Amino acid sequence: MSRAVTTLEKVLVVLVLIAILASAISAAYIIGLAGIPAKVAELSDTTTKLVDKIGDLVAAEKELAGIVAGLGKEIGAYKERIEAIEERIAAVEEAIKPPTLPRAELTFWHYWDGTNKMAIEALVAEFNEKHPGIIVKPVYIGWGELLPKLMAAAAGGEVPEVAIADIVWMPKLVRTGMLVDLSELVKEIDYEDFYPELRKIGVYEGKIYSLPVSTNNLQLFYNKDIFRAAGLDPEKPPTTWDELVEIAKKCTDPEKGIWGMELYTGVGEGLTWQFQVYLWQAGGEFLTPDLKKAAFNSPAGKRALQFWVDLIHKHKVSPLAPWGLFAAGKAAMVMDGSWMVGAYRPGGWAEVPFDWGTAPMPIPSGGEYATNMGGEQIFIFKTTPEKEAAAWIFVKWLTSKETQIKWDMLTGFMPVRESVAKDDVYLAWVNTTEPRLKPFIEYQRYAHARPMVPQYPEISDAFSEEIQKALYGKVSVEEALANAEARVNEILKGESG
Amino acid sequence: MNDETKAAVVCIAPSAIIIGIFTIFPIFCSFYLSLTDWDGLSPTINFVGFSNYSELINSEAFWNSIKVTLCYAMGVSIISVILGLILASLINRTTGPLASLYRVIYFIPVVTSFVAAAVVWRSLFSPAGFLSDSFRSIGFSPPNWLADPIWALPALILVGVWNRLGFNTVISLAALQSIPRAYYERAKIDGAGPLSRFFFVTVPLMKPIILLLFVMSIVDAFLIFDLAYVMTGGGPLGATNVVGLLLYKSAFRYYKMGFASAIGVMVFAILLLLTLLQMRLFKFGKEV
Repeated sequence: MSRAVTTLEKVLVVLVLIAILASAISAAYIIGLAGIPAKVAELSDTTTKLVDKIGDLVAAEKELAGIVAGLGKEIGAYKERIEAIEERIAAVEEAIKPPTLPRAELTFWHYWDGTNKMAIEALVAEFNEKHPGIIVKPVYIGWGELLPKLMAAAAGGEVPEVAIADIVWMPKLVRTGMLVDLSELVKEIDYEDFYPELRKIGVYEGKIYSLPVSTNNLQLFYNKDIFRAAGLDPEKPPTTWDELVEIAKKCTDPEKGIWGMELYTGVGEGLTWQFQVYLWQAGGEFLTPDLKKAAFNSPAGKRALQFWVDLIHKHKVSPLAPWGLFAAGKAAMVMDGSWMVGAYRPGGWAEVPFDWGTAPMPIPSGGEYATNMGGEQIFIFKTTPEKEAAAWIFVKWLTSKETQIKWDMLTGFMPVRESVAKDDVYLAWVNTTEPRLKPFIEYQRYAHARPMVPQYPEISDAFSEEIQKALYGKVSVEEALANAEARVNEILKGESG
Repeated sequence: MNDETKAAVVCIAPSAIIIGIFTIFPIFCSFYLSLTDWDGLSPTINFVGFSNYSELINSEAFWNSIKVTLCYAMGVSIISVILGLILASLINRTTGPLASLYRVIYFIPVVTSFVAAAVVWRSLFSPAGFLSDSFRSIGFSPPNWLADPIWALPALILVGVWNRLGFNTVISLAALQSIPRAYYERAKIDGAGPLSRFFFVTVPLMKPIILLLFVMSIVDAFLIFDLAYVMTGGGPLGATNVVGLLLYKSAFRYYKMGFASAIGVMVFAILLLLTLLQMRLFKFGKEV
């Protein structure tokens, strides 16, 4: 049917369309004005809350992390403790186990002769018995040959695993680079128990290369028979330099060829090391602390040398004579080493037919106790780890307090450990067998070591040559010290060894 | 080479080889070492040219030791050769077992260990010793022989002569006995007395032997070491610091092997010079 659309129909359609459009617009308007901002505000509110929550969460996490870290540390500590306990268990197990000692055969070079040789051989035999697997073979080499042999060995020959050396050789030996560094190993022992001056000897460039094994020192010996003949109390030896002069004057008797005080006036180390005692007593030093220069040309040096010169020329109580007057009964007093106690006593190799005593070396007024020391150090040569370990066991054993007490009793050497010097058993032995060792034991702690420089023997000879000129009255005290200083500095300036 | 020469070469060879290894070779080593700074111990040896020699020539101690050693060597050799000759002529006049006894007595010091003898002499000379005690007992105040700068060297010379005399006497005696009797008888007939016979027969005929003994004594005495080492240690004031002692100290106390070798070479040169000089003086070549 095709009838034409009426005008009314057209208008109605337009109206409806307009209505729809309007309502749509208004709806959109209403929504637009009220709903969206609210929604947006709501959304942003939610977002803020979320951010806050996230902040809280982060803080919480941080807190948690802290707790976790703390826990971690505690766990670490526990682990360490567990490890320590495990180590101790291992150590205990090690100790309980029959000892699995390194098996090695060790050669041990030394120069101890006579009764000392018997003593070291007895101790080594005891060590070998107690340490199955290690066999130490002591080899005696004369004092004069030992250093050249050691140096030749260090230069590339067959080294002994263990050896001893005179303390004055140590500066040469530590410089060979062939000795085992003991710096770590000594933590296993009571290293501080050794006297500090003895410890110094084995140290080179801050590392420890040797341990003290024996020592000795110088104190006063006096002839009680001469004291009695001079009307002096034989139990009252001098304690000061002034008393020494007084007593020496009373004892001196030129008619009989008897002198008050014997000094070492010959050239060589004998003079130097005796003089050093007087120098140290007067508060002086032999070399500067850096060992680069002479330090004896000082007021203390002058005082010490003047004292010697006065004893010879002013008081006329000391002769210019070869050494040995005291032993011959021709000198009332002498300063000599602890080893002479064993030599002079009945049965000793230099037994004397007179009554004698010992005393601490007299000191100058305002001075300090001092003495010089000798002795030996023990060290290990670089070989193989097993042999070095075995050698350390031997060195540790020989220098231990227990072995040292036996050693000192067998040889009459002075203790190298303070604990030995204070040990009841040892002191009881001294009191019953040879109380004349007591001044040496008690005053060992005042002993100085001679300067540890490789040129020492040459310095010592040069020093003694110049000092002797003052003793013979050829030059003044000041000149002698100045000349000696110049020569010693010249030698020290030379090659460093 | 004939057989005889071959045999000689074969027989000489062993000792020549031994002397070569233990004497000639070390001499060359010593000369080489004197040009180095070797310390006798370390494996490093640095060549230093003639610096050891220049140090030596400027060393007062070295020239003093040469002087002391020369005094000692001259003292010992002159006294012991002359005394030996006199003793030999005296012994030559004695006959029978007494002659042998004297010979033995004078020879004993030669075969005695010098070090042991030095120790005994040291105690004899000590202020507490026999010699000083004897002086004191007759009212003299004796010097401290070995510690006295004036007496120390004469004391060493005395011991040196004591040690050397026997050897010189025995050798002189052997030489004396080889002089034909006829010369003396002829001299006697010509009217020469005992003294003239000694000076105009014995001495001229003994000249080569006297020279030999003199050279040997000087060389032997120049190498003195043990006596000074034991008795004085070189003191007092360097009065007995003989060159052997200086060499020993340099080598084995200060470990300056290069310097010590230089001393050795110098001593060698001095001894060579002395020997040549003596040969020239005695016109050695012409007499024999």
